Amino acid sequence: MRTHEVVVVGAGLAGQRAALAAVQAGRDVAIVSKLHPLRSHSGAAQGGINAAVGKEDSVDTHIYDTVKGSDYLGDQDAIEFFCREAGPTVVEMEHFGTIFSRSPDGSLARRPFGGAGFPRTIYAADRTGLALLQALWERLGTARFTLYQEWDLARIIVTGGRVQGIVAFDRKSGTFEGIRAKSVVIATGPAGRIYGRTTNAHSCTGDGVALAYEAGAQLKDMEFVQFHPTALLESGILITEGARGEGGILKNAAGDRFMSKYAPHVLELASRDVVSRAIWTEVQEGRGFPGGYVHLELMHLGREKIESRLQEICDFCRRFAGIDPVVEPIPVLPAQHYMMGGIGTNIRGETNIPGLYAAGEAACVSIHGANRLGGNSLLETLVFGKQAGEWAAAHAEKAPASVLTEAQIESARAPIDAWSRRTEGEDPQALRTEMQATMDRYVGIYRNEADLLEGLRRIRALRARFENVRIVDQSRIYNLNMTDALETGHMLELAEVIVVGAFTRTESRGAHSRVDYPKRDDAQWMKHTLATRTPQGPALSYAPVSYTRWEPKERVY
Amino acid sequence: MPESTISVPLEIYRYDPKVDSAPRYERITLDLPPHTPVLTALLKVRQDRDPSLTLRYSCRSAICGSCAMQINSKSRLACETPVGPEVERHGRIVIEPMRNQPVLRDLIVDQQPFWTQYERIQPHLIPDPAHPMPEGRENPMTPEQVERFKETPRCIACGACYSACPAVEADPTFPGPMALAKLYRFVVDPRDGRTQDRLVSIQTGGLWLCLRCHLCTEACPKDVRPSERIRDLKEMAIDAQGATEHGSKHAVGFLRNIRETGTLNEFKLVRQTYSPLEMVGQVGQGIRMWRKKPEMMKKPKKVAGWEDVEKIYRALEDSPEDRQ
Repeated sequence: MRTHEVVVVGAGLAGQRAALAAVQAGRDVAIVSKLHPLRSHSGAAQGGINAAVGKEDSVDTHIYDTVKGSDYLGDQDAIEFFCREAGPTVVEMEHFGTIFSRSPDGSLARRPFGGAGFPRTIYAADRTGLALLQALWERLGTARFTLYQEWDLARIIVTGGRVQGIVAFDRKSGTFEGIRAKSVVIATGPAGRIYGRTTNAHSCTGDGVALAYEAGAQLKDMEFVQFHPTALLESGILITEGARGEGGILKNAAGDRFMSKYAPHVLELASRDVVSRAIWTEVQEGRGFPGGYVHLELMHLGREKIESRLQEICDFCRRFAGIDPVVEPIPVLPAQHYMMGGIGTNIRGETNIPGLYAAGEAACVSIHGANRLGGNSLLETLVFGKQAGEWAAAHAEKAPASVLTEAQIESARAPIDAWSRRTEGEDPQALRTEMQATMDRYVGIYRNEADLLEGLRRIRALRARFENVRIVDQSRIYNLNMTDALETGHMLELAEVIVVGAFTRTESRGAHSRVDYPKRDDAQWMKHTLATRTPQGPALSYAPVSYTRWEPKERVY
Repeated sequence: MPESTISVPLEIYRYDPKVDSAPRYERITLDLPPHTPVLTALLKVRQDRDPSLTLRYSCRSAICGSCAMQINSKSRLACETPVGPEVERHGRIVIEPMRNQPVLRDLIVDQQPFWTQYERIQPHLIPDPAHPMPEGRENPMTPEQVERFKETPRCIACGACYSACPAVEADPTFPGPMALAKLYRFVVDPRDGRTQDRLVSIQTGGLWLCLRCHLCTEACPKDVRPSERIRDLKEMAIDAQGATEHGSKHAVGFLRNIRETGTLNEFKLVRQTYSPLEMVGQVGQGIRMWRKKPEMMKKPKKVAGWEDVEKIYRALEDSPEDRQ
């Protein structure tokens, strides 16, 4: 059996940054990832990374914008720490070799983003995630660690009240392998594929979050799901907020720039929840184009600006939608984009289980609260990836040797083997499709009690059917059908937590909009939802929001 | 308005080395709107027909680099290749794993050879110890300096270029287009302190094995244009240390050779490329050339209008930046 001191699961920006920190702290580190690290979904981030480095800008304004953007659900001490780390983090990534876009004076170029008081989003054209991912992987390539590539996490082993390691499935060999570890960092990203209409990659299935939950970790604020205002109509492919940051405007079928009604001061650059609801309302009230969508217009920016600063989305539109944004509007509609919730952690990345850490979109610190600002998620992966790596390393240095037995590997393998032995049973891909349709229909941008109850009923029925899931493919090599089953199980688990949280929270805050409870209710609901797994479903409890300097105010853009 | 569909005959390469003695092609015909990406078609096959079909995919928006494969014999990303034009041109869509890498199962190849070549070029910034990074702030870099990277930052390491490259097929020691484009990215980086070393080591490290066929540039889904960056590296390598390899000596010899008469002096080019000892090995070919076309072995006369050739050379020398 393999043994390492720190095992990082997931190799996007958060996982890689955690691994680098743990290696630099002198620990024996392994990365376990179901994708080659350069294929991670961090690479799909387009718009940029926030840091208040401009002369006119200040860290305090970044903190305030983030607090306000979070609809006052973000923990202010964590947000202060986060925003102070922004400048050094971006500089470090530049020193690692990131190729950022530049201003004529040679400094890092910045663009305006939604919900931000100043142009504070540093970018690399419209492929900032890719630029950061390349540079971090290049830097990590000079460090000593072990990479388990194309391994699926199957179980996190917790005994005696602390983490002992993981069991993972090696796709290439088709074997289950145990890895002993004193610290495990979960950086497996989001679970966006719970929804059908999502900007997320197919691989965003919340594996680490679901397995941490199964191992006893508390999930925080899972009901807060961000819908990005502008995704391509049919495919749901993301059109960066940078398109609006560069001056793109939204119009309904009547040709009205409708954001003037919803956010008279900042129009298209209101925060994402506000713009998504505005688009949804326009379409629901019959002011969208036939088929139900609105237009994002860039034409007035001119060919040169569009093709240089928005090169990737220009390609996307041309190749995936047959639309040339230089000469015609882009048909867009909101799509699931980001999960504010995740494995509950503090600013060290610590969870409620000793030795278990989480960072990036898989975690919830919470800095995004009820709504994340564009440009804050790339920053989060790096700031808190580093934190989790450092503290996981410190824990591993002191913790006693971990114990993981063959019997524990066998117990992780046995149920999955049983799925393969079935001669009839449920198709995991069909269950996945039904789950996605359920979440799209009942747990979307606008929510109400009846829909959420129906959504919960359906998700629970799907979970019951999943008990009888069947893997048809009998091969041991790259058994994708087994991946279908594992991932669908993880997503169903998380879907239930999202719906229960959304049903219980009888207020509207940030991305969580209850039409039956349209007001924010600070007296009752200024608190984080915590979900603990029980055989009967998630048991909810609540934790206070931490304040430092900013009193809750009504949120107007 | 429901979109009209077309009949899409797929022929999908299937191979499980543990079970199959040889690869086979599975024929499945689907009705799909013409703009449907090949990846969507394959996922439909998995979902509706056969969940054992195995492939890599993730982002479905041409940014993760997972789904490169052979589509009607071209290395493409399945997620951004629509079925319509393929069916129109070929009458069917033959889908196979990438070339130049061993097949693990169905459409999944072992990319280790590709990653090994990538690692060989030291793909990370190596700052000059004499010029440490500025404390607490970014290195200055002008937009013009960013321009020098050309399109190389767009590389998603999908491996389509590696799959398309005949030099990789002929000689597995060739670093391949992606690794060389990546090397270019570090060579032009003003923050990197090892430009000279990188160029010197790649001259003997396989740079001149590129055949200049440009199939990599044709295959690249992100317009990185690896073959053009390889050409840039060749020029920079010669500028850095002169012509040291057969490839670079041949290139430099060619340039000088043409200038003298306006046409190629084949015999002289051999002398410009090889040392006297190496020329011994070329004797056989020399005799064959002499038998077939004896005039090739003679010193050519200046061509008519030779003065114009000289003018072109002078013009190029006056504006070295425009040589491209």
